[in-house]
Amino acid sequence: MNAPLLKIDQLSASAGGAPVLHGVSLEVNAGEVHAIMGPNGSGKSTLAHVLAGRPGYVITGGTVRFDGADLLALPAEERARAGLFLGFQYPVEIPGVSNAYLLKAALNACRRQRGEQDIDAFDFLNLVRDKMRTMHIDEALLTRGVNEGFSGGEKKRNEILQMLVMEPRLALLDETDSGLDIDALKIVGRGINSLRAAERAVVVITHYQRLLDYVVPDQVHVLARGRIVRSGDRALALELERRGYDWLLEAAPAMA
Amino acid sequence: MKALERILADFGSPADAGPARLAAAEALSTHALPTRRDENWRYANLRALEAVRTFLPGPAPSISPALPPALPGYSRLVFIDGRLQPQHSLPDTALLGSLRRSAAGSADAGPVPFAFSGDGRFGLIARMFAPEPIALRVAGSLALELISITTAQACGSYLELDLELAAHAQLELVERHLGGAGPTGLSCVQVDLQLAEQAQSTHTRLLQGAPDALHYDTVAVTVGAGAQYLLRQVSAGAQTARSTIQVRLSGREARTQIRALATAHEAQVCDALFTVLHEAPGTRSDQLFRGIASDRAHVACSADVQVSAGAPGARVVQSLRGLIDGAGAEVDLRPRLTINTDEVQAAHGATTGRLDEDLLFYLLARGLSPVEARSLLKWAFLAEALNAIDAPALRRAAGQGAAARLADTPATELLQ
Repeated sequence: MNAPLLKIDQLSASAGGAPVLHGVSLEVNAGEVHAIMGPNGSGKSTLAHVLAGRPGYVITGGTVRFDGADLLALPAEERARAGLFLGFQYPVEIPGVSNAYLLKAALNACRRQRGEQDIDAFDFLNLVRDKMRTMHIDEALLTRGVNEGFSGGEKKRNEILQMLVMEPRLALLDETDSGLDIDALKIVGRGINSLRAAERAVVVITHYQRLLDYVVPDQVHVLARGRIVRSGDRALALELERRGYDWLLEAAPAMA
Repeated sequence: MKALERILADFGSPADAGPARLAAAEALSTHALPTRRDENWRYANLRALEAVRTFLPGPAPSISPALPPALPGYSRLVFIDGRLQPQHSLPDTALLGSLRRSAAGSADAGPVPFAFSGDGRFGLIARMFAPEPIALRVAGSLALELISITTAQACGSYLELDLELAAHAQLELVERHLGGAGPTGLSCVQVDLQLAEQAQSTHTRLLQGAPDALHYDTVAVTVGAGAQYLLRQVSAGAQTARSTIQVRLSGREARTQIRALATAHEAQVCDALFTVLHEAPGTRSDQLFRGIASDRAHVACSADVQVSAGAPGARVVQSLRGLIDGAGAEVDLRPRLTINTDEVQAAHGATTGRLDEDLLFYLLARGLSPVEARSLLKWAFLAEALNAIDAPALRRAAGQGAAARLADTPATELLQ
């Protein structure tokens, strides 16, 4: 059997001196879609940011292997180039840097990592236009500043567009569904599904199971109080939708 | 001897000094040079003046300068150390005919009222010493590039330019201040621009003096009724650079838009004072400044807007932002708004800080290197000011000059 694409073993981390993650363990195989659910403050976004290498967190224990390599030893940009993509819950606006420039720079960073040449300008435009059609994004947004003046839905679709252009091995999508209307949710779901492949994996972080109507997960995990307290299949998400999180919190031990 | 005494001593009592030059010397003697105790000069590097050995203009240069490519559609006047170089200039016949050389301070030179008000005192020095001041009246439409190269070592380079736009006239004016190949001294520039009613001018200034140069310039603009003055200024050169700019909106519904940026590195000091006076009803001003200080550099900008009692219905927008990009770097921004009438719409803001860590991480998470990400964010910071320069060749030249003063040089694509 192949080694998992992502293997998190007893990962603990703190932010601002306060422990947030308490020994998270998780394995994600290539070809799988996992959903991580949990109440507010349970550590979901922290887990995503720690995996993506955001400064400001202190790893206090555990290991993470990504495609066999020690993920925690890599700086953020090398994690991205190695194929780990973080879809931000709150994508930032960067006036003055066009979408086209960022998409091309990001794609070329990944291509160089793979030993490929920078993409030709013509091929790049063809590629991006194709992905923009998938995400129902107006081509005019290519020349606009990154997320500058975008609606909430446009920002989230733009995150998925970046993901489709970069073609990561592992996509961590941090509440990509928040703030989306039903049509936008379908478009985002379609975009995520278009990336599904035997060599890739997706981890969807969400509060609600409605995105999972469109992106059907292989496994669902509940993160509470900084640790995974329950794992199951899609039925677990439906049960959470009915019962909420309290019954799991009661069962989860409080951490010191 | 202090700098002022040496300036006056070097000026002496030349027999050929016209009344304008003599009046300038007398005014400077009365008002003296500004000091750091003057509120509008507290960030300027005035001590550098003490190191100037002589304030006399340098001798006639004999170099053949490397000039930037000509701007399509522009006439060009080239000055070296304040002296017009006809052999390097590209003036059309009409322009040559209209150049009214004010012949070393003849009586027809204007009174430079701004200079006498105090902040324009370096304009007085330019008037006292400028070897070939020029005056130009524009009645129709003109695109003019003025290149001023300072090569004079350990002495002064002075330029005085007096421009008058007739009603409905249009002027695209580009000023490029460049340094020669070797070490240079003091450069003093005085520009006086008057726009009659409904005239329009876009004034682009690229200040790219040599790394060791001292550059002090003074720009006084009067905007008549319905006229429009657009200023684009990129300051990215000289060891010490000080720009003192005053725009008087003297006519009803006169408008101005200022887009300025400054980048400084190592131990450069780059200081600017923008004063906008709303003196008539319905006038509008829109100021934007972006400054980045790297290493131990100091960037300062004072933006002073005064709305007089006679300017009801004025609209004022002011945005100043500074980026500190070095352990010893400093940025000082001072927005000032004085309103003496009702019915004014005003919005202003000023912020100074370091690069936003959230933005930085976003770019790193897209695989960009830290150097590339920082460079990109700094470029984005400057973009709004830089992109106000319409002509691509000029914008590229301005961008390259600004980029040379950043700790991380932006990707070539961004400079297009």
